[in-house]
Amino acid sequence: LLPILQVPVLRPMDLMVEATPRRVFANAHTYHINSISVNSDYETYMSADDLRINLWNFEITNQSFNIVDIKPANMEELTEVITAAEFHPHHCNTFVYSSSKGTIRLCDMRTSALCDRHAKFFEEPEDPSNRSFFSEIISSISDVKFSHSGRYIMTRDYLTVKVWDLNMENRPIETYQVHDYLRSKLCSLYENDCIFDKFECVWNGSDSVIMTGSYNNFFRMFDRNTKRDVTLEASRENSKPRAILKPRKVCVGGKRRKDEISVDSLDFSKKILHTAWHPSENIIAVAATNNLYIFQDKVN
Amino acid sequence: MLGRGLKRKLSDYEENMAGLSSAFDSSRNLPYPLKRQLVLNMCLTKLQTYKMLVEPNLHRSVLIANTVRQIQEEMRQESNQQPINVCPGITPSTHSYAGIESSGISLQLPSGISQQESNCCDLRSVEDPIENSLLIVSDDDMSSAISSILKDLDFVEDISPPTCLVPTGDDQPKFPENTGLKLEDDRQDLKGAECVFGSFEISNSTSYLKDLAIDDIFEDIDTSMYDSDFCCPPLAPPRSPALATEEPLKTFPSCNSSSASNIQICRTDLSELDHIMEILVGS
Repeated sequence: LLPILQVPVLRPMDLMVEATPRRVFANAHTYHINSISVNSDYETYMSADDLRINLWNFEITNQSFNIVDIKPANMEELTEVITAAEFHPHHCNTFVYSSSKGTIRLCDMRTSALCDRHAKFFEEPEDPSNRSFFSEIISSISDVKFSHSGRYIMTRDYLTVKVWDLNMENRPIETYQVHDYLRSKLCSLYENDCIFDKFECVWNGSDSVIMTGSYNNFFRMFDRNTKRDVTLEASRENSKPRAILKPRKVCVGGKRRKDEISVDSLDFSKKILHTAWHPSENIIAVAATNNLYIFQDKVN
Repeated sequence: MLGRGLKRKLSDYEENMAGLSSAFDSSRNLPYPLKRQLVLNMCLTKLQTYKMLVEPNLHRSVLIANTVRQIQEEMRQESNQQPINVCPGITPSTHSYAGIESSGISLQLPSGISQQESNCCDLRSVEDPIENSLLIVSDDDMSSAISSILKDLDFVEDISPPTCLVPTGDDQPKFPENTGLKLEDDRQDLKGAECVFGSFEISNSTSYLKDLAIDDIFEDIDTSMYDSDFCCPPLAPPRSPALATEEPLKTFPSCNSSSASNIQICRTDLSELDHIMEILVGS
């Protein structure tokens, strides 16, 4: 007897989202990877770990090219690690990497195969009045980003965001205080490891505004032209969808006004480490714990 | 106090540490050497904790090790400059010590948390002698202990050299042909490294430090100088201030170290070393 052929039937099902790797570039790093950056040639990209940076070709998954190696011969001599790296937005031979000592090195891959010697070295002299046991820890740069123009770089350390002009290595051209009220809490923040939190920072499309996260689901924006800044909160409890976000303020001792929040009430488990800004529109994405918020300009 | 964080297992220890670090942040009366000691203790504890992790965080360990070295260097420079002083006997009303004991980690730190104003004033008045006495750091043993910890931050053994080629004339760099083999080695290195760190068992008990067999690391440390009769028992943690005031208040001892009789060591240094040893040896 011939088996009865059945016509396939389409059955609706719940949408299943499954992430599958399309390519795996494996086994080139022995330390924790902290950054990846796509090159402007769209053919290569780099990956950086604590001590090394490798260059990859998208089409070649089993080979990479080591371009930076700061591992000392004797690990006891290690005093500095790589914390972030990024390619220049237009010059495919140029990249920067930041360190745990608050320095940034700009390298040109044309000068040598192993970029041991930087083309430029950015470091701000330490402010002696702010010196503390935790000075080095809070100077560690957690993120470095080129401006869209390629003329500036922005760095984030624990308490500040700094903008550097590529042509001036000895100090940043702008420094913004993200949450300076934490400066007097550093020991407690060290004790609970919050001092090691790695915040990112982003430019808006026109490089006129920069944004970074903080604690208590707060994030901060700084307008470089008007020098105004604002603190906003990403939280469902405190704002309804489509409602305009209300600016927040942290009160530093003294009298607390009605809508202000005192430093001691901040929730340090609610940290905004990752943010993104649309390359051309005023739309931002903010990651708060396990929620993703998308905000945009008020639509009339 | 800071806002909520994630509760971990060693909750007692942490509450006490949180209390001390709050004191550091808020108290202006805490003498600098005491603050420095507190930070140093926290650093050493963290380094010890990180050693236990299967995947130690190199970035954090380097930052903390740098902080330890910086404090050590500062203490060394100060001890070179300052003349060696006799530890003064301090009247009993001055100091109260808070001991923090939790499952193998025993840290005794001078408590600057002064619930009573009198403590504050007294701390100020005896600041100079305390400072002098705390600056006497003939801590060769402390240094060796720290170096041992740093040396023992045995980060992933990375035998294979990084591949690096001079780019050829054309745009595309040539990748090495033996990369396949090298990657195989890397995988084995990784497995080897995982074994190194995998051998640190993270037991469920909070007394994980007792499982460590690291006596070998410290066998070259000579602690004979620090063997002494006086050993302050840990007192109640700072959250029970009433008890703290009733505890027998400690005085700086008259020093009677067996060797190097011209070096007079203060009890804080002694207990500090004792407790570092306790942590590390797991006694």
